[in-house]
Amino acid sequence: MRKCLIMLVILMMAAVVTAQDTIVLQAVEVSAPAIKTDAAETTMERSVDTSVIKRLNSVSMSQLLIQHSPVFIKTYGPGGTATASFRGTTASHTLVLWNGFQLNAPSLGQVDFSTIPVFMTDQISLKWGAGTSANSGGLGGVVNINNDEYFCKGLIVNVKQTYGSFNTLGSFATVGYSWANHLLRVKAFRTSSDNDFTYINIGVIPHQKMKQKNADYVDYGMMPEYQWRFGNSLISIVSWNQKSHRNCPQIMPNVGNENTVEYTDNDFSRNYVSFKNYWNTGKIEVKSAYFRENQRYVLNTFTDIGTPVTSMDSKNTANVFHQIADVEQHLYKNWKLNAKIQWDHEQVESSDYEDVKKRDVFSTYAALNGNVLKNIDLRATLRNDIVDGKSVGFFPTATVSYSCAYLKGLKISAGYSHNYRNPSLNDLYWNPGGNPDLKPEDGRTVDGNLNFTRDFGRFSVESQAGAYYSKVSDWIQWKPTSYRFWVPENVSTVTAYGAEVHLKMNYNIENWIFSVSGNYVYSHTTDESDKQLIYIPLHHANAFADIEWKGWSFSYTMEFTGERKTSMNDNEFYGFRLMPYTLHHLSFGKHFWKLDIELKINNLTDEDYQAILWRAMPGRSYEVAINFKL
Amino acid sequence: MRKFNYIFFAILIMALVSCKKENNNGSQPVSHDAKGVFILNEGTFTFANSSLSFYDKEADTVGNNLFFKANGSPIGDVGQSLALYDGSLFIVVNNSKYIYKVDAKTLKFQAKLEGFTSPRNIFSVGDGTAYVSDLQRGGLWLIDLDKMEHIQFIETGNSTEAMVRVGDELFVSNWSNYYVPNSSNKSVQVIDMKTNTLVETIDVPQEPNAMVVDKNDNIWVLCSGGYNPGEQDPALVCIDANDAAKCQIVKRFDFNAGTDYPDGLAIDGAGENLYYLNGGYSSLDVYKMSINDTQTPDNPFIAADERVFYNVAVDPENGDVYVTNAKNYVQNGDVERFSKDGELLSKFTVGIVPCYMLFN
Repeated sequence: MRKCLIMLVILMMAAVVTAQDTIVLQAVEVSAPAIKTDAAETTMERSVDTSVIKRLNSVSMSQLLIQHSPVFIKTYGPGGTATASFRGTTASHTLVLWNGFQLNAPSLGQVDFSTIPVFMTDQISLKWGAGTSANSGGLGGVVNINNDEYFCKGLIVNVKQTYGSFNTLGSFATVGYSWANHLLRVKAFRTSSDNDFTYINIGVIPHQKMKQKNADYVDYGMMPEYQWRFGNSLISIVSWNQKSHRNCPQIMPNVGNENTVEYTDNDFSRNYVSFKNYWNTGKIEVKSAYFRENQRYVLNTFTDIGTPVTSMDSKNTANVFHQIADVEQHLYKNWKLNAKIQWDHEQVESSDYEDVKKRDVFSTYAALNGNVLKNIDLRATLRNDIVDGKSVGFFPTATVSYSCAYLKGLKISAGYSHNYRNPSLNDLYWNPGGNPDLKPEDGRTVDGNLNFTRDFGRFSVESQAGAYYSKVSDWIQWKPTSYRFWVPENVSTVTAYGAEVHLKMNYNIENWIFSVSGNYVYSHTTDESDKQLIYIPLHHANAFADIEWKGWSFSYTMEFTGERKTSMNDNEFYGFRLMPYTLHHLSFGKHFWKLDIELKINNLTDEDYQAILWRAMPGRSYEVAINFKL
Repeated sequence: MRKFNYIFFAILIMALVSCKKENNNGSQPVSHDAKGVFILNEGTFTFANSSLSFYDKEADTVGNNLFFKANGSPIGDVGQSLALYDGSLFIVVNNSKYIYKVDAKTLKFQAKLEGFTSPRNIFSVGDGTAYVSDLQRGGLWLIDLDKMEHIQFIETGNSTEAMVRVGDELFVSNWSNYYVPNSSNKSVQVIDMKTNTLVETIDVPQEPNAMVVDKNDNIWVLCSGGYNPGEQDPALVCIDANDAAKCQIVKRFDFNAGTDYPDGLAIDGAGENLYYLNGGYSSLDVYKMSINDTQTPDNPFIAADERVFYNVAVDPENGDVYVTNAKNYVQNGDVERFSKDGELLSKFTVGIVPCYMLFN
């Protein structure tokens, strides 16, 4: 594998070198097939601004999402696991799709967003409610990460270097060439940090200033990509390869455990080939993916003189194959039919399972949407999944949307969706405790959305307000047993309701560009005892403001996390309650020639906070970045 | 922006108000001079939300989160066991790998001893030393309680759990063979307390998790029997400890192999009645039997009835039976106090997963 990658890099360099004495190609206008996104669909999704993706291209997806989306991120700090909670649900209910392929690990069912560098993506979008209908699992929502089609751009060079507090380094590079009908490009990155920030340890007696230990990490990866366009067809081949080594720091009271070595080693190779063909009234996409992921957790303890005492080495390897065929066809008038068949084969070998565990999911999906009345669009979908030869059932969704005739840009929609989530393979087969009799979780959601998007020339506004009510029955929870190990069970029905507000405004005048955006989310999620689930804040919000003038830029980011509980007690004792906190970040930038220079101040007010109970978080930190882009 | 600020301000106020309320109206103030029981709540693994409660048995009041209130810091990750010696309370914190020494009256911090691997139980000898068992080391620790220093580590080859003393011998159960290579999880080892050497190893059924000594100096060993399918052999055995050289199992009571999982063993002050938890996969009942009984009781002394019983202790003065209820393990548990005839006398809420009780 590594040899192949090196070959590809050499090829790529050769391409770059040869490109230099090639005549610059004229840009060719390509007429994209006329499939317009319908009204109903746009009310259930939102794209993250490409300017945001560009600005945050040296951070992880977790940071982007918590600062610029309604998704809440539960993070163990820099270099630690970061999982998403969408609409008050948990990490397992956030489905992540990379060019349509599920990234949620079959063993754990979750995605660690700290392992997704924004740099490796071109487009990020969020879907919720009926927008998640094409796949199982996204009972809270779906995060889509996609690669762009990219032609006629000539030589591609984008190099970025960052350096910040705690010896945090980031190197990022994209090189390639984009011909009229071919694209060859490689993205590569390496991030690392000593992560030895100073904090006040309030978990020891007496409280004292300390340096974080054993929190260093290194992540690196590369993604070669080839795209070929011919006639009305497009072939893409992408390979995303990544490795990480991360030390696991101790919680605050345990910092004296000097004789412990705890780390994770993860790597993956995610590869796919896709073929697309367009015609006047439709398109077809056939794609096939192979993912291989290795995860390893090591915990070694030693005596004072360094003799090994215990050694825990937990490994798992997942091999996943995905096959997808997706057709879109315009029918009579404004009606459009979308049909998809998908086959996923998951196979996990784990030191914590008795033997190799497999799962096959065969899924058939159809979506119909169109204009029923003037200004009223309808979208209806139906999916059937067969898991290991057994049908899980039929899952329908329906959305009605109304485009207001009196106020241009205003859309109102209401939707119903029914979906399910398979237990993870750990839930089913972990030894001891795994419960092979678990049923899938069943989720039903009704929601309403209000969109107002309009461009007034100098001034543009994009706003969205939504409210949802969801019920997830057969919610899977690990419970202790009298055997003193934990067993997952379909224990309860969880009810989640809440509201989200999103606002974004841009204003241009002379050489000035002003932008502001923000999200506020209220998420009330309770189990049958009517208590808010742990680690889900009732309120969270973020806001962003940016001013640009003649290449200078200044931006401010704020993230707010409301109070959270860490147990299912009615009145959490103050010592174990996570207090609300607000983080403020500043950034100054200057663009000249082909360079962007940026200075960032994170956690400007040096807020002392805990995102997870007794996990130390860094105070104020600085970063400089320089970006060369051809 | 202004709107956001408004919301934050409102939330901040709410948080401050609710915080204040808790401080004033939370648990009742309790004097630890009173006669009663310390209850250690282990909390959730890796959450470091272990807490200490004290129940005043005469006033029938309970104080919770006492360690945090006295010291402004948490006990740590998974509080495991307690001991009292010379006016100090010792708290063994398993996953934080240390022992806290606090004033038994004020609960103010006095000292901390680190350097354990996975400390479990503490046995105070009474002369200023104590033995500490360890789940992940092949042996046990001897520590100085006055200076809070390690004296020595006594190698036994097996990980150690419950400890009792008969004469000058310390009996240590070997509960787990998971962490220590080539070790036993079906034995009780005998340590000569004068030389601190291993003198004897007694074979018992699998996973001896608790031990008590009766009035005849016989040791009762509760063995949970392992959890792997097909290998469970849960049993209660009695070892004659009077003659150290013999040290044999003199009585053996087998539980239902494959379904039962006995855990938690206590004996009354007279050393005549045993109390233990036993039951199936989801709940354990409390059983009571006399040391002279020829079989284990068929009917529970207290049936679980939706409660998740976690441990049992007996007041050495009056024979009252205290049983902890861990509920769903993610919220505060209860302790229920019964008379020796099984009549419910009191019930009070403590912390998350109440696991260990110590009468002062």
